[in-house]
Amino acid sequence: MSSRDKILSRIEANKPDALALPNIDLSLFDEGLDLVQEFTKKAEVVGANVIDMVSNDVVAKVENLFPDAKIKYSAIENTSAFNTIDLANIEKPQDLEDLDILILESELAVAENGSVWVTDKQLPMRVLPFITKHLVIVTSKDNIVPYMHQAYHKINAGNANDFGVFIAGPSKTADIEQSLVIGAHGALSLTLLLK
Amino acid sequence: MSHPKLASIFNKDEKKVDWHDKALWFVRHKRDKSVHHVQGWEELRNLGHGIKAHMLSNLDIYLREFEANANKNGVEVHWAANAEEHNQIVHKILKDNNAKKVVKSKSMLTEECHLNPHLEADGIEVIDTDLGERIVQLAKEPPSHIVLPAIHKNKHEVDELFQEHLGTKPCDGDPQYLTGEARKHLRQKFIEADAAITGVNFAIAETGGFVVCTNEGNADMGAHLAPVHIACMGVEKIIPKQEHLGVFLRLLARSATGQPVTTYSSHFKKPSDGRKMHIVIVDNGRSEQLSRPDFRASLHCIRCGACMNTCPIYRRSGGHSYDATIPGPIGSILSPGKDLTKHSSLPFASTLCGSCSDVCPVKIDIHAQLYKWRQIITKETPQPFIKKKSMQVMGSIFAKPKQFEKVGKIARWSLRTLPKAVINSKPNAWGKARDLPTGPKESFDDWYKKREENKGKNN
Repeated sequence: MSSRDKILSRIEANKPDALALPNIDLSLFDEGLDLVQEFTKKAEVVGANVIDMVSNDVVAKVENLFPDAKIKYSAIENTSAFNTIDLANIEKPQDLEDLDILILESELAVAENGSVWVTDKQLPMRVLPFITKHLVIVTSKDNIVPYMHQAYHKINAGNANDFGVFIAGPSKTADIEQSLVIGAHGALSLTLLLK
Repeated sequence: MSHPKLASIFNKDEKKVDWHDKALWFVRHKRDKSVHHVQGWEELRNLGHGIKAHMLSNLDIYLREFEANANKNGVEVHWAANAEEHNQIVHKILKDNNAKKVVKSKSMLTEECHLNPHLEADGIEVIDTDLGERIVQLAKEPPSHIVLPAIHKNKHEVDELFQEHLGTKPCDGDPQYLTGEARKHLRQKFIEADAAITGVNFAIAETGGFVVCTNEGNADMGAHLAPVHIACMGVEKIIPKQEHLGVFLRLLARSATGQPVTTYSSHFKKPSDGRKMHIVIVDNGRSEQLSRPDFRASLHCIRCGACMNTCPIYRRSGGHSYDATIPGPIGSILSPGKDLTKHSSLPFASTLCGSCSDVCPVKIDIHAQLYKWRQIITKETPQPFIKKKSMQVMGSIFAKPKQFEKVGKIARWSLRTLPKAVINSKPNAWGKARDLPTGPKESFDDWYKKREENKGKNN
């Protein structure tokens, strides 16, 4: 017998009698959050910089925030003038090592933990939001849901993703004596532009 | 070595014990502050428990569903009955892909299977990329905590370690500088890697996808750069549906560090074009633990580490004193199921205060299971002579009230009168490293009788 069949048959023999799957009653968690306020608060707690956009000119805002950035890429529509690299010329993801700034769009944000959801749909290459030095994510206030439960309802209702990630703040670690250090292996900063 | 022996080594440096104790209590405190703000937290824990219990009762069905969906997604699924087979499978995948340099993100399973030495024996370089794991790897030590692998090291020790291995400048233990240098060092490893190994936090039967949570971004840096991604998981990591992640991701980080969610919760489903993704599903004693009704709930564990941070014994004895891959309270109920003799001291490394069960996000009755393991261990493994004899003597004393009264009187007199050297003599384990209280003049029984008499008088 293969290990697969051995493992499965042992589990079948050893498992307890079937137990029902509990229902999730969302009303138990509802506390009537002010979504924009809560999202902003939590995103700042996890280390993101949240900016309420007055104009729709994302590129101008980013140029203004990061005047020293040299290698730049934006994955949002009609911003190709911003890009200093062409992904078509990138042979392997390792070539993105020197990327200074990346702009992405997100269609889903979660108030309770300040995270934003990014998928293959917005990512021409999966390594982009991790390898860039600075990350800017643009989202609309209408995209904010209160809790992770609603976030998954929205994800399940949309097209299936091959890869997706909730990003909450810049990369961080506290592995040296519990001192929080922003900037571990991923982005050193995260800026959220709220439209 | 037993837990008490290893703990006594850790306890030699009293200042370090105090520091370790405080560092972990600080994390427990952050957990409290975070969860007290979540409306319906107890209900979330109930759901976590209920979903896991349901999963275990249908585990074979969900594993089959997961495998079928993962295959459809273009992911190759492998099965390993034990640690050795797991290591061989990973080794073979690496060989088939001619991979010589491997980056690994945190995976307690690969620690459990001792994967690194197996691969290194064949000249494959394996770099642990989580900062804490890299620190203990450089120090040639195992992690002492499942979420905070280097919690037993202070910043000066890390400073010295980095000077020796990474050529950093002396910095008086500046965490910012040390982390920056580690970033540069590991960035190079990510760029050069031929393959990436990650753990799995949750594997979703419904989609065949899996979720990996990190704060540092190391799992993603590895998995998206290297051409081959191998994800290793225990059979119990399965959850039925994607929407159940809503429950578990709300519980996990808050319980672990007090964060509302980890920085990255990455959902892997299909490999990107031209790349390969493998999943290795490992049993290694889990199906046997499933057969034990008293202990199967230990398989609910989502590896948050909250039980360690809160445990008064763990905080004061350090993770290495458990001599097991998973230390602390949860490890002490998992390890005896694997090797009862080797780990027979672990269920006794507890005050049975129940704090571990109180903070567990999936409501495992950890302290009750510790108590149950004790019953089995005292019957099935040889006990120290003094403990065995004293238990017999105590048993006979407690069985006869008259005798109990007499012995109590002598004991109280002794505690009041005899010199400390006699009271704390070697056979008395309770006199070790602590002073016993002065014996009271009357017993509770005497006091109670007197009280009843006085009641009668007052009426």
